Parts: sequence; structure tokens; C-alpha cells
Amino acid sequence: MAAAHPRPPLRILTAVPLCDGHDSAVTTINIELARHGLEVIYLGYHQSAAAIVRAAIQEDVNVVGLSSYNGGHLVFFKAVVDQLKMRGGGDIPVFGGGGGTITPADERVMRRQGTDRIFFAGTPLDDIMAVIQRDYARVAKPDRKFKGDRALARAITLAESGYPRSKLPAPRSTKVAGHPAFVVGVAGPGGAGKSTLIDELTSRFLRKNPAGRIALLANDPSHPGSGGAILGDRVSAIYSQDDRVFFRSLATRGSLTGLSAAAPAAIKILKNSGAFDLILVESVGVGQESDPFRIYGKGPPLVDATLFVLAPHYGGRIQLQKIALLTGADLVALNKCDHPMAHTARAEIQARLDQNGRGQQLHPTTAAQHFDPGVDALYAALASLSSSHLRPPASRPGSGGAA
Amino acid sequence: MSQLGKIADAVDAYNAHVATEVARARTDAAFAAGLRARWARIRETVDWTVSPTGTPLPRLALPQTDDPAVIAEFLLGQGLPGEFPYATAAYREMYLDREVNTGEEPMRLFAGLGLAEDTNARFHYLGTHQKSLRLSTAFDGPTLYGLDSDHEGVLGKVGEGGVAIDTVEDMTRLFAGFDLTRKDASVSMTMNAPAPMILAMFIAAAQRRFGPGCVAKLRGTIQADMLKEVQAQNEVIFPIDASLRFLGDMIEWCVPNMPKWYPVSISGYHIAEAGATPVQQAAFTLSNGFTYAGLLQARGADVNEFGPRLSFFLDCGLDVEYLVLGRVCRRLWAIGMRDVFGAGPKAQILKLHTQTSGRSLIAAEFQNNLTRTAVELMLAYLNYTNSCHSNSADEPFTTPTEKYATLASHAQSIIMEESGVFKHTMNLFGGAPGLLLLEKQVEKAILEVFREMDTLGGVLAAQEQRYQRSKIQEAGHAYEKQIYAGARPIIGLNKYRSGEPMPSVPLARTSPKKQRLQVARLRAFRQKHAKQSPAALQRLENVARAGGNVFAELIDTVEVCSLGQITACLTDVVGKFRPMV
Repeated sequence: MAAAHPRPPLRILTAVPLCDGHDSAVTTINIELARHGLEVIYLGYHQSAAAIVRAAIQEDVNVVGLSSYNGGHLVFFKAVVDQLKMRGGGDIPVFGGGGGTITPADERVMRRQGTDRIFFAGTPLDDIMAVIQRDYARVAKPDRKFKGDRALARAITLAESGYPRSKLPAPRSTKVAGHPAFVVGVAGPGGAGKSTLIDELTSRFLRKNPAGRIALLANDPSHPGSGGAILGDRVSAIYSQDDRVFFRSLATRGSLTGLSAAAPAAIKILKNSGAFDLILVESVGVGQESDPFRIYGKGPPLVDATLFVLAPHYGGRIQLQKIALLTGADLVALNKCDHPMAHTARAEIQARLDQNGRGQQLHPTTAAQHFDPGVDALYAALASLSSSHLRPPASRPGSGGAA
Repeated sequence: MSQLGKIADAVDAYNAHVATEVARARTDAAFAAGLRARWARIRETVDWTVSPTGTPLPRLALPQTDDPAVIAEFLLGQGLPGEFPYATAAYREMYLDREVNTGEEPMRLFAGLGLAEDTNARFHYLGTHQKSLRLSTAFDGPTLYGLDSDHEGVLGKVGEGGVAIDTVEDMTRLFAGFDLTRKDASVSMTMNAPAPMILAMFIAAAQRRFGPGCVAKLRGTIQADMLKEVQAQNEVIFPIDASLRFLGDMIEWCVPNMPKWYPVSISGYHIAEAGATPVQQAAFTLSNGFTYAGLLQARGADVNEFGPRLSFFLDCGLDVEYLVLGRVCRRLWAIGMRDVFGAGPKAQILKLHTQTSGRSLIAAEFQNNLTRTAVELMLAYLNYTNSCHSNSADEPFTTPTEKYATLASHAQSIIMEESGVFKHTMNLFGGAPGLLLLEKQVEKAILEVFREMDTLGGVLAAQEQRYQRSKIQEAGHAYEKQIYAGARPIIGLNKYRSGEPMPSVPLARTSPKKQRLQVARLRAFRQKHAKQSPAALQRLENVARAGGNVFAELIDTVEVCSLGQITACLTDVVGKFRPMV
């Protein structure tokens, strides 16, 4: 049971409200929180109440912290608290701060409306940290009342905190995709633009599948000293802020495989839920080690296909030889093709792929460019892999019930 | 080497040139004699005045010397006021009180709250304290992000922290009762990502009131600095390329059509407020300015036409570097523009607006903020800023209330009108050994930042690698740490606390009733133009897709479309900005 394991890190979602770009306080606080061993899921500035609530539920956080500096906090905090309740996250407390803009009189109103606490201007950072660690460190337990995304999110949280796999809840979606999810592992060196590329692929998925759902599992490293982490992938995932996207950030918590130790269980939970058409699993920045999606040895690989992403500055042909994933990957993308080195890189990587004799074609992409045709082509290749994987029509894995 | 590397080299080359000329003044008798003769002529042209207490004073303070080396050092290293390299001042007379004063007071007070009519009332109130008509506008969050007041989830933000503007009709209400075509009228707007839409509304509203011929008479500034938004302030809608293109379209249209308008205000203020040190503020702001100059030149614009239309905006806090920051910036800008961009004199002058530091003001024992602002004002004027905004003491908790807005404006009058520091003699402080030393140190540090960015590939490449953002965040983090550790004394917060409870001051907030009124007006506007707006948006989309000048088209679009409709249309064409952490 959970108690047998060391206490898992406290997970917190931080954000700045809609129409507010003041992120200087929140970035300072994020760094401090991570330094104190917390896992910080940072959503960014200019975030709607709906996006904050969606993220809080999918990330199954202990608490939400909002930093508001340009007014409207009475309405905004209430909207977050109310929507949390409405969407099955009423147990997640919300605190906030706003320098001098939130007055003691405001605080009284906000507390009545359900905000848990306001930190006033001048509260020392150490005091803020102590209060958060003292008051919000609930240990996650299974909860039968949780439905939908929250149930999935809680199951993943339990997997992360070392709950025995046999006892993990296995939530099923009431709205089933109609076919098993296609699971793609996305790996590549840090800085290659994996997160941006995944977001661009997500935007294409949403456009082409008007009723489909996609799940994203973003693995990011924990800080080796404090055990904390800043999980910031959601900030730049602009197209993934959609109810049809289930986005979950996983800190590696000491795992050295490129994935959280809970990733296999999380993939299984998402896959078995029947809610998704596509699941993309992003590893931490990796390259030469090995294939993070295959190291779990015995059984079948964790994923149905792998996408390897690299950028033009990989350091020359010799380096390419060392990248194990270039041999095994089903899809290979060279991102940042607007870079001057991209031309040479394309030729070198294609030559490296040709050695494998598997007919792998390199996909040149520039994910930072909106509507990049290279990303369109990559998405088309991924979609065709997915449909050939599904052929002949497979029966739904283990699930019953849904229409 | 990027442009920035060339600029750093040009400054080094200019400094070496000054050193050579100073040495020559010591050794070359004919050169020395020429300098002395020029010096004598300069001194002769300076006229004199008498202080109210009877002390005769020259109108311009010059080094009291006949030493040709000192003369050369001053003329070339600092420059007479209004002469290259403009360290002393952008213009000859600045704040002097002449019998016939043709200049305008440098005071410019920022206002924006509630709905257009509320801000309009504040403008009329503030106007009673000013000789000339200077209206500086703050917008609310939804407007700054290009959203309509009925966009999902924004209602609580409508009219908070600034005025809500959705349509050209709101813009008409905002400036009702003011003759914007007056010679001494000047409007400034703190507006960035949707600047093209908002300026188009301003033009359209002015044309409705004053006729089509009024456009050339409109005078003022719109901030429109997208680089600092990406680096610090985070109000960005479109991807960077598209944002810069829309900005370029607007500047290109304004240069010939609005000869009295500054279509961009290159701003360090928000960079400093987000955490940057004074040196970082100056380095990032200047390098952003040079980047705009480069982009405009690349579009085929003439530096001597657009150069004089670029203006600057800096923060002035209490750190020692602020004693000289404006002076150093003017000098570096002038050298870079002249020696790298080939600009003539008018395009070399950095025109500076300064605002006292909002970050330096705190809620605890907030009346101390009056003193902080007064000291910062003094520092700003010592740098001969061309215009200045003083913050209100109640700003840590609210949009300024009338009482504190008045005190802030009076602080400027006390320094400029009551005190004799600036009105009798130009350049009372320039050339002091301490200032020269500080200028040299600050300049050196700025050039180091330039060279660091140069090695990253220049401003845009550095920005993509989030160099500026991480430097600003690091500095902000260090500042907070200094406060908590007590290394940075903040009176009433970490030192000399009186334990006074949090003040209860009247807050300027927008009532839900007003917010609903704004939404009702917006919907009525959209309803009224429901037939014309799809075609107008289609024309805008066509121009945007064809690579035409979007700004020229926007002036028509705003007649029938709301801000949010236009933002959505352009987002469809160019995509959304992807934020950086």
C-alpha cells in the first residue's frame, strides 16, 4: 500500500489568470517550490479558468496556486473554484497571491467563495513554502466517486506513488473510441522540439478527428537533489488545451530510463480506458542510451510505434551512428529545418537510415512554423501507420459496454 | 557577426576615436587652437539669467576649462545638448523656463479605468493640471490580448487596470470633448499586440469627428513593441514573424501618413519591471531598437525617414545605475544609428519617455511610495528624459485613485516648477567625475551583453533560445532573494517596519453593472454591422494572405468589426503565438 512507500512528492498546478501576463512572481515561486521537492505543473500566463480546471483534474494535483496581478480576481478565483466543483475536482484547494492587488477585504470575500488562502505582499518565500507543505500534502487514495478524466488521473497518480499494479483502479470510459488506441512513443535529444512537434501533431489530430480524443503523456526529469520538478510542457502546448486532449505530466522521480517508472502502468490505464484514439508518450531528452520504449524487456513493447525527433545540431555523422533509436524508429523527423545546417543534416540522416535497410524516410519538419507542410506530411505518415495497425479491424481490447 | 556585434564594435571604434582626438588636442597645436576658438564661440552664445534669489547663472553649464584635451573630451565624448553623441541631452534647452515658452511640460500621466466614458472623465480631470493636452491611455486585459469583452471568462477583467475598448465607438467615447487636432495635443497608448487594430480604431474615430484631413495632424505614440512583449511582458497574440510583419505594416503606413505620430515606443519599462537589472534593461531595449531598425531597412524603408519616428521608454528605479542610464542609452543609440545604419542627425536622437518604477512601490506603509517616486523622478530628470510619468503611491493595490494621481502629478511640478534645479541652467550635473565613471561602467556592461547576444546569433536568435527571458527571470529571482535576505533594504518591509496594518484606501474598480453595459454595447455594435462584417473580414483576410499592408485595410475593417472579430480573423491566417516558459 501507499504507506509502505516514501511519501510521494506534492503536486501543484501554478498559473496566471486570463488576460494577465505578470509571470515574474510565479516563476520565482515555481523555482522555489521545485527546490523544496514539489512537482510543479506550470500552465503559464493568460490562462482561462476552464484551462486551469482541466489541467488540475488531468494532473490530479494536490493544490492549485494562482498568481493574479491585474485585477478581476474576485470573479476569476470564484470561476476556478466553481468549475472545479462542477467537474469533479471540488476536493482540490485553490490558493492565490497578487502582491498588493488583492486586499484583505477581497481576501475575506474570496475565502467565502471557496478560495482556500491568499498570500499577501511581503510574505517571505520560506513561509509560503512551509504553509504549502504543511497544508496541502494529502496522500492520494483511490476514490470511487471520481469519474472521467479525474478517475484516469487518479489511477495514474496511484501508479506514480507505487501502488501495486494489481490493485490499481482501471477506469473505463463511457464514451469509447470504438477501436483500441494507437500508442506512439516520441523520443529525441533535449532541445529538438519534441513538445512543439507533439502539439502540432495534436492540432492536426483534433482537426481530422472531430469526435476523437487523444492522450499525451509527457515525461520530464525530476531534479536529482531536491526530488522536485518543474513540468512546463503545458505552457507551450497551445493546441492541447482542449477537452478532447488528456494531458498528463510525469516526473521521472529517479527513474533513469527516460520514462517515469509509472509510465507503463499509465499507458495501460489510458489504453484500457477505451477513451482514446491516439496516445503519444514523450520521453525525456534521450539519444544514445537505448530505446526507452523497449527496455521493459520481456513482454511486447510499451508502444505500437516510435517517432524519433532530432534537430540539425546533433554533432556530425559519427554521432548519428551511436543513436540506437535511429535504427528502430518507425518514424524519424528532422525538426528545425529552417536552421542553416538542416540541408546537410537531411542528407546525413537519410544516409544513416538507408543503412538500416528498412525503407525509413526522414520527415523534415519546422514545428515552430505554424501550418508547416512537413508536419502535415509527418501526421499523414503517423495516421497511415495507425490505420494499418488497426487493420484487420480489431475487436475492442477487453472492454465491453460502450456504443 | 550579427548587427549587434557591429554596433558594439562601432562604439569601441568611436571611443577610440575620442581618445585619439583628446591625445591630438594635447600634442597638435593647430588642432588645439581650433578647439579653443570653437569653445570661445560656444561660450559666447550662452546667455545668462538670474535666479529668484539673485544669483547670475548661464543658461548652459559647460566645463570651466581652456584645456583643449578637456574640451575635446566633452564635445566628442558627451556632446553639447542636442549634438552628437547626445549624452548630455537630446535637445538644446529641454526644461529651461523661457519668457516665451514654446516647449511643453514633460509631464505625461497614464490613465485608464472602467469604460471609455470613465477614462474620458479622468482625462478631463487630469487635464486641469496640465498646460498642454497630453492623454496617456492604459487598456484593460481583454483589450491588451485582443479579446472582446464578451469572450468566455473575461468578464471580471473588463475595465480592470485600464479601459475596455472593443469597437471604434468606444474609441470615440474615450476622447470625446478633446480637440485631438490641436497643435499641443498628444495621445499615447500603451498597446502592443493589437496595436494595429487599436490605432486603426483611433484613426477611424478621429476621422468621424474631425474629417479625413485630420490624420496628418494626429500626434502621439503607440507602444507596439512586440519584442519586449515576447521577452518580458507576455502580451502576444500572433507568432513572432507575423507580429513583426503587422508592426512593420503599421510603421510603414504611419511614416508618410502621420508625420507627427510615433508608431513604436521601444520599451525597457516592462523588461525592468519583470526583473531585469538596469544594465539588462538598457541592453535589451537598445538591441530591440536596433532590431526594428534592421527589419525596417530590410523592408526597404529609409533610415532617415523612419529613424526619427522611433521613440523609447525606460523604467527609472532607485538603483545607482539610473543616475546615468538615459544618458548612456542616448549615446549608444546615436553611435549605432550613425555608424552602422548610416542615419543622419534627426535619426540619431533617442527620444525618451521615462516612468518611475512600479516594482519599487510596495503595499506595506505605502505612503513611503511618495518619496520613492520623488527620488526616481529626480533621477529621470537628471537624465533629461523628454517626457515622464510619475506613479501614484496607491498603485500596489489599485488603479490610481484621484487623490494619489494628483499627488503624483504635483510631485513633477514641485521638481520642475517649484525647485530651481532644472529651470535656470542646462547641464548642471553632466561631466561630474562620478557620473562619468558610472557612464563608462554602465556602457561597458551594456556592450558585454550586446556581444553575448551576438555570439548567440543576434537579438532574434537569442530570443528564440530564451536568452533575454532567462536573464530577466534570473535577475528578478536575485532581487527577491536580496529583499528576503535583507541585503536590499526596503523601508517598511524589511527595515524600519512600524507594524502599521495594511491600509484601507478607496479602490478604483469596475462594477459588474458597467461590465455588463460594455458587453451590451459590444453586442449591439456587432448586431448593427452583422451584414457588413463578414465581407470586411474577408477583405482583411485576403490582404493578410496576399502579403499586402494589413494596417491600411484595418482602418476600414474597424468601421464594422470588433477587436475580437479581427483578432480571430488574423489568427486564422497566421496562427497563434506559442509562449515560452
